[in-house]
Amino acid sequence: MKRTYLGEFEEMVLLMVAILDGEAYGVTVSQELEQQTGRQVTFGTVHNTLIRLEEKGFVKSQLGGATAERGGRRKRLFTLTPAGSRAIQDIQELRTQLWQLVPPHSIKLAGL
Amino acid sequence: MTSPNNALPQPPRWAVWLLRRLHPTETIEEVEGDLDELYMIWLQQAGKRQANRHYILSVLSVLPPFVKYRKQKKEFHSPYSSAPDMIRNYFIITIRTLTRNKLYTSLNVAGLAFGITCFLLIGLYLFDELTFDQQHTHASRIYRVVEHKNVKGEQTTIAAGSYKLAEETRKMIPEVENTTRFQRIGRANLIDPKNPVPFQETVTVADENFLQIFDFPLIAGDKQTALQAPNSIIINEDLAMRLFNQTQVLGKTLEFSFMEAPLKITGILKNHPSNSSFSFNSLVSEASFRNFDYFKQTMESDWSSTDFSVYFLLKPQSNPESVSTKITKLIHANLKPEAGTTLSYSLQPLTDLHLNSENIVDGARNTNVEAIVQGSMVYINIFSFIAFFVIIIAGINYMNLATARAANRSKEIGVRKSVGAARANLVYQFLFEALLVTSLAFVVAIIFVNLVLPSFNEFTNKQLSLGFGTSYQIWLMAIGVTIVIGLLSGSYPAFLLSGFRPTLLLKGMKINSGGSLNLRKSLVIFQFTIAIVLIIGTIVLYRQVQFMNTTDLGFNKDLLVVIDVNTGKARSSFEAIKEGMSKIPSVKNVSVTSRVPGEWKTLRTVKINTQGNRIEPKDAYLFGADKDFLQTFEVELIKGRNFNTPTDSTAVLLNETAAKLLNITEPSDQLVEIPAMSRGDGFQPLAIPFKARVIGIVKDFHFQSLKNKIEPLVLAYNNNPIHVIDYYTARIDANNIPATLEKLKAVMVEADKEEPFEYHFLDEQLALFYMEDYRRQTLLVWVALATIFIACLGLFGLATYSAEQRVKEIGIRKVLGATVFNLTSLLSKDFLKLVLIANAIAFPIAWWAINQWLEDYAYHIDLDWWIFALAGCLALLIAILTVSWQAIKAALANPVKSLRNE
Repeated sequence: MKRTYLGEFEEMVLLMVAILDGEAYGVTVSQELEQQTGRQVTFGTVHNTLIRLEEKGFVKSQLGGATAERGGRRKRLFTLTPAGSRAIQDIQELRTQLWQLVPPHSIKLAGL
Repeated sequence: MTSPNNALPQPPRWAVWLLRRLHPTETIEEVEGDLDELYMIWLQQAGKRQANRHYILSVLSVLPPFVKYRKQKKEFHSPYSSAPDMIRNYFIITIRTLTRNKLYTSLNVAGLAFGITCFLLIGLYLFDELTFDQQHTHASRIYRVVEHKNVKGEQTTIAAGSYKLAEETRKMIPEVENTTRFQRIGRANLIDPKNPVPFQETVTVADENFLQIFDFPLIAGDKQTALQAPNSIIINEDLAMRLFNQTQVLGKTLEFSFMEAPLKITGILKNHPSNSSFSFNSLVSEASFRNFDYFKQTMESDWSSTDFSVYFLLKPQSNPESVSTKITKLIHANLKPEAGTTLSYSLQPLTDLHLNSENIVDGARNTNVEAIVQGSMVYINIFSFIAFFVIIIAGINYMNLATARAANRSKEIGVRKSVGAARANLVYQFLFEALLVTSLAFVVAIIFVNLVLPSFNEFTNKQLSLGFGTSYQIWLMAIGVTIVIGLLSGSYPAFLLSGFRPTLLLKGMKINSGGSLNLRKSLVIFQFTIAIVLIIGTIVLYRQVQFMNTTDLGFNKDLLVVIDVNTGKARSSFEAIKEGMSKIPSVKNVSVTSRVPGEWKTLRTVKINTQGNRIEPKDAYLFGADKDFLQTFEVELIKGRNFNTPTDSTAVLLNETAAKLLNITEPSDQLVEIPAMSRGDGFQPLAIPFKARVIGIVKDFHFQSLKNKIEPLVLAYNNNPIHVIDYYTARIDANNIPATLEKLKAVMVEADKEEPFEYHFLDEQLALFYMEDYRRQTLLVWVALATIFIACLGLFGLATYSAEQRVKEIGIRKVLGATVFNLTSLLSKDFLKLVLIANAIAFPIAWWAINQWLEDYAYHIDLDWWIFALAGCLALLIAILTVSWQAIKAALANPVKSLRNE
């Protein structure tokens, strides 16, 4: 099976971009990550990941309008590309498939 | 916002400063915005301290080396540089630029066209020289036999072998696929019996393998059988035309004065291509002779003669050296050389014949008839160097002019860059421009070449052509070189100019290519050095040729008609013929000789010794001459007496050199002995040594070319046993020469009806000695002119560049009152320095090279200082003319224009 390579954190960020649905930029992605996963991440990690995702072609970006609270600076808004949405769907499908293969007692034995 | 007043806490200023300084510029705006927003959030959530901490940490995480750089995303597509539309655009722009600067364009095109013309001409010549004898399919496997004979330390190398050599090696040596032998049997009359016109033809006899080994194409006849039957002959188109006026002569017969039976024409050969070492017009089958008793007897046991040219066709992948060893062994097994004689054989590749046959005598008898045309590797090298030099320099000059002109184009480049031209576009643009100019030059060069080819051919004695029929290799080479030169010469301006920042260019920055100026200066020096060396060479060569034409030869070469003796009758009845000639009023003197001073055929050499002398015999040349020789040639007799009576048949005259060699000061009938003689192929002892008396000493005269020192010469009487008479020489009046020639012919024809009247003017024959020098002189003149032209182009480019660079300085100087003369000398001074340096470099080189060359001449001019001075001044003058044109133009320009922008 041909699979796009996506790191765990990249996957998270990509999912955040999907969740934010057109409102994703550095600030919102960081905040959403923190709220949804409880993870504390430095801004640089998010920034770099977004750039990397864009290079891989999973998100695209454009400069949005300037707002006063940013001192007139424009924000870079990220949206999923078809390849990006395809990638998270693939991952989701694969996980489901794998979950179905797991015998119920093996999870129970693991104490879950 | 929640805060009641505007005094919101701000992130630490140093952190902001750090962020702005170090974060990549592409993403600073969005990142700074994001961090500001986040700071607000952190502030609300956790207070100022926490927010500051978060902020600083985040800033650090987006500073190098942690931050990831966003790759420059192209917001717009710059057109693909070699897209058809772009190429059309380059074309249009190039045409516009070229037509706008007509002077530069024509200079560039002329310079390059000139370079390419020289290159093509030399290329054609070299191609012809290097492809000599390669028209044969098996050329790479054909070798000729070369015999190395060493008789008591005297080495002769002769390309010839014996009958048996060709015969037996074919059977005995497995690597040998085939062999052939042929021999030139001298000049004889070939006559169409229906239309007998007497004229002499060199006849070559070849065996039946000849046409199997060599590919001499027949236009009629079968090459398998043409040389098989006895009494068959093949002739070439040329001879067919001369004998029959047509080439459809297969099956006709020819009468041949050597043989009783007529020869049947079994094949018509195509005329030889110009790059062939072979020059025979006819081939008689060897079978025609095999039934003759003398041939049978001599040839059946002939292992030692050098009567035949022998060629081998080796099997593929054979090693010619091991075959040579086997040949040598085979010969040694069949031939016992005399004591003190060593004999070995080697195989010389056919393709080496033309260029690598120095010191090899072209054997197989009659070496003096139609010897194989020789080329010279030295000239090949010199020519290659010149071709390479000329084309490179032409390219560099283009580069120089283009860079110099760049200053004018800086705005154009600036604008192009500002409106979005990528660097690649500009590079393509300039390369395209260079290619177009070179292509234009190429077309011009082809026209040039075709214009000068007729005279070039006459000069090189070749039949070169450049057209649709020319070998594709030449075209490939020419086009390849043109493209390479175009790209190379375009690359420098292309990469230099496209690299500048548009803002600087638009501000009016002058392009300064700094260090490369020194490079260009060195180039100009280099070009002028070569030019000056060539000028000196030309002057020296011219003077040397003049010198050789005017030197007193010790005899009077003018108005001497030399008539060949071609038939036995003309030889035996010489007294009557002489008598007849002397009676013609316009003939002053007549002499018969075996050779003449200034002889073009092989001179006979002899061993000579005074009788009773125990020392080794000395080498000397020998002529047979009659009593009228001295008077006819106006050679001075110093001591003793001339030949006078028929009893003088054993008398000899010596020249001063010979007398000195034999230690004879007074001729008093001393006896000298001549035990051996040579026709140029090693000494053979005479059956009966010739004993002669010295009766006189003549003043030294140049009987050979001035390249040779005057050698010892023995003048023997006309009926001497060593060399029979071969020429009549008549000194005639300057008036009405054609009538005199007619009368001389009448005398010869009266003696023998079949005698073809062949004559030469001796001065013209002498001039042939120096033909090669004359050719070199012509060549050198042209090459010198070419180099000067190219050097001037280079200088012109540099001067233009320099004037451009200093245009403001000149403006200011002018405003401050400098005169045109001041400015011109200011600008010219630098360049004249370059030419002076070139002179300083050129003089020792020229001095050395010319001394080397003059050593070839036993008699030569002195290398006077004024030749150097003249060449130097000439170069300076040319340089001044070239530079001052630019300088005066710059000096005359209106300073308002140049200073307007300041």
